[in-house]
Amino acid sequence: MIRFILADLRRLWAGAVVVVLLVALATALGVTVTLQERALRLGSARAADKFDLVIGAAGSETQLVLSSIFLQPAPLPLMPGEVLAKLSKDPRVAWVAPVGFGDSFAGYPLVGTTRALIGSTVSGFAEGRLFEKEGEAVVGAAVKLPLGAEIKPMHGTAQMGGETHAGVVYQVTGKLPPTGTPWDRAILVPIQAVWHVHGLGHDHDHEQDEHHEGEALQVTQAAAVTDEHGHSPLEAAPEHAGDHRHEGEAPAAGVRDTHADEDHDHHGAIDADADIDEDFAADAPGLPAVLVKPKTIADAYKLRQEYRKGNTLAVFPGEVLTSLYATLGDAKMVLSAVAAGSQGLVAAALVLVTVTHIGQRRRQIGALRAFGAPRLSVFAIVWLELFLLVALGIGLGFMTGLAAAQMIANAFTVKSGIILPVGFTGEDLRMALILLSASAVLSAVPAVLAYRQSPAAALRA
Amino acid sequence: MLSLHLDNLAKSFPGLGSPVLRVDFLTIGAGERVAVTGGSGSGKSTFINIVTGLERPTSGKVAWSDADITRLSETARDRWRAEHVGLVMQDFHLFPGLSAVENVLLPARLARVADAALIARAHDLLKGVGLSRPDQRIETMSRGEMQRVAIARAVLRKPGVIVADEPTASLDAEAGETVGRLLLDMAGETGSTLIVVSHDQRLIDRLDRRITLGAGRIVADSLREEAAA
Repeated sequence: MIRFILADLRRLWAGAVVVVLLVALATALGVTVTLQERALRLGSARAADKFDLVIGAAGSETQLVLSSIFLQPAPLPLMPGEVLAKLSKDPRVAWVAPVGFGDSFAGYPLVGTTRALIGSTVSGFAEGRLFEKEGEAVVGAAVKLPLGAEIKPMHGTAQMGGETHAGVVYQVTGKLPPTGTPWDRAILVPIQAVWHVHGLGHDHDHEQDEHHEGEALQVTQAAAVTDEHGHSPLEAAPEHAGDHRHEGEAPAAGVRDTHADEDHDHHGAIDADADIDEDFAADAPGLPAVLVKPKTIADAYKLRQEYRKGNTLAVFPGEVLTSLYATLGDAKMVLSAVAAGSQGLVAAALVLVTVTHIGQRRRQIGALRAFGAPRLSVFAIVWLELFLLVALGIGLGFMTGLAAAQMIANAFTVKSGIILPVGFTGEDLRMALILLSASAVLSAVPAVLAYRQSPAAALRA
Repeated sequence: MLSLHLDNLAKSFPGLGSPVLRVDFLTIGAGERVAVTGGSGSGKSTFINIVTGLERPTSGKVAWSDADITRLSETARDRWRAEHVGLVMQDFHLFPGLSAVENVLLPARLARVADAALIARAHDLLKGVGLSRPDQRIETMSRGEMQRVAIARAVLRKPGVIVADEPTASLDAEAGETVGRLLLDMAGETGSTLIVVSHDQRLIDRLDRRITLGAGRIVADSLREEAAA
């Protein structure tokens, strides 16, 4: 029987290939959607795993998490620096680290933070050491810069028309091991340096500090800062808004334009050899976010409750991700419905084609019966022939889907740094079995027609 | 070797006023070699379909030796036909993509009876019908060669009856002559009853008895005529 089927398939190879490809493509579509959605959930959850609590200025919870943990370039309102000082002294907090962003170099985001964050979230260095001076930087595993390389940060990004901070140079002192998170693509510098680059937090110019902080607070209260360069509010203090505004452009919404006429260089400077001071005082400059490691779960909930009032917002990244996953789930449902629809169409087309094909082969089927082939053998030949093709298509579809999802995941990882774990699980095996079962039933339709065919009528056809 | 008895046989199709075949009584003896002739629409194909169990009559009895095949289910008739009937058709009904020997063995394989002895017999039969390349693809053969493969297939399981429907109609005179001779030889060798539907006068002349159908009825039977004479 197998020889007969194989001879038949060899003879009708072009049609067989088309059937296999059609089934493979329809299957691959559904498999890619499923694998990609699952990989996105797992990858993002792993990326946020080490961060228990994020506190920022009141605003969008989602944006706060996306910017502070996934390092997505988007403006965030600032919260007062005193929050950082208060949390540093809070006995419920194991460690707290500010994050400041908005600058970039060679497409990699610069993140101002503290040694506490690096020391607490990463185990050891792939090369080199932690930054110890204001002009030093540590790079993530995916940053293609060697130790000793010089980094001249750019305000914003090149795509957004950013400009290089004149005279500011960091030197790479360490490279972190891979974490599979966006932080692999980040250049980590002392938060103190970021403040100084932007003309904030100079002890020697306390008066200016207050001035800037005051502005930052106003920005926070405005809570609607938008910079045409895509800068975070850290850089988008009102004076900078004025400095950066292009000719003919209006000041950013919610930002006071009090210094628009001043010829004020918004770029500060860093003292590359200055020691790093991570003892944050209440008058520290405003910040887009701080990452907090509470000592206990109870502390985490208390802190979250406490900082969800007034002009601060505290979130567990997990809860924000859960709500994002719900949206992702909805999108997956729509895409899965599209995939299922295409699979249904292919199935219907296959039934139509095979039923027509059986009609065209009536004489052959009649002859088989006339020569004494049992009806069940005729059923088995027709069923097995179609089922083999569809099963092959499903197998090929799963492999194609896996390859496509892997390619998309790789592209995503290159862009975001988040490693998306693409792979099959028991759920996929169940899906494959369901599809194979459906194919078995589908293949039975023409087989039943062949089974019921009268040999005499078939021979007369 | 099987004998055939038909009693009050009738076959009607929906929409037709009268039966397309009506045979009150007919006997074909075991080992007899019979030609069935008649014009187009005379009921020859229906006769073949009914005596081979491919179709059930509307009424009447079709008994091969002691077995009334009209009482069998379709599946049982398939099994009976596989064991007792060797069919040779005008269009050969060989399966492309398979070799000559695979074609000979196909029905036996589908019925799961193709053991080593039967495989050896298939090769012998192909040699016997003058085909020296059993592994040759069927689509590369001439029509005469194809019909010889079909004859080998028909006699593989030593059937009690060989039924041939216009076996020489699509062949040239020489090939037709060869095929006709082979049919008679094989029937003789296996001791099978032979029923041949044909317009080929040379083939008809070689057979013992001639039954002529017209408008679904037996209009002439050489055996009866001889008996009457």
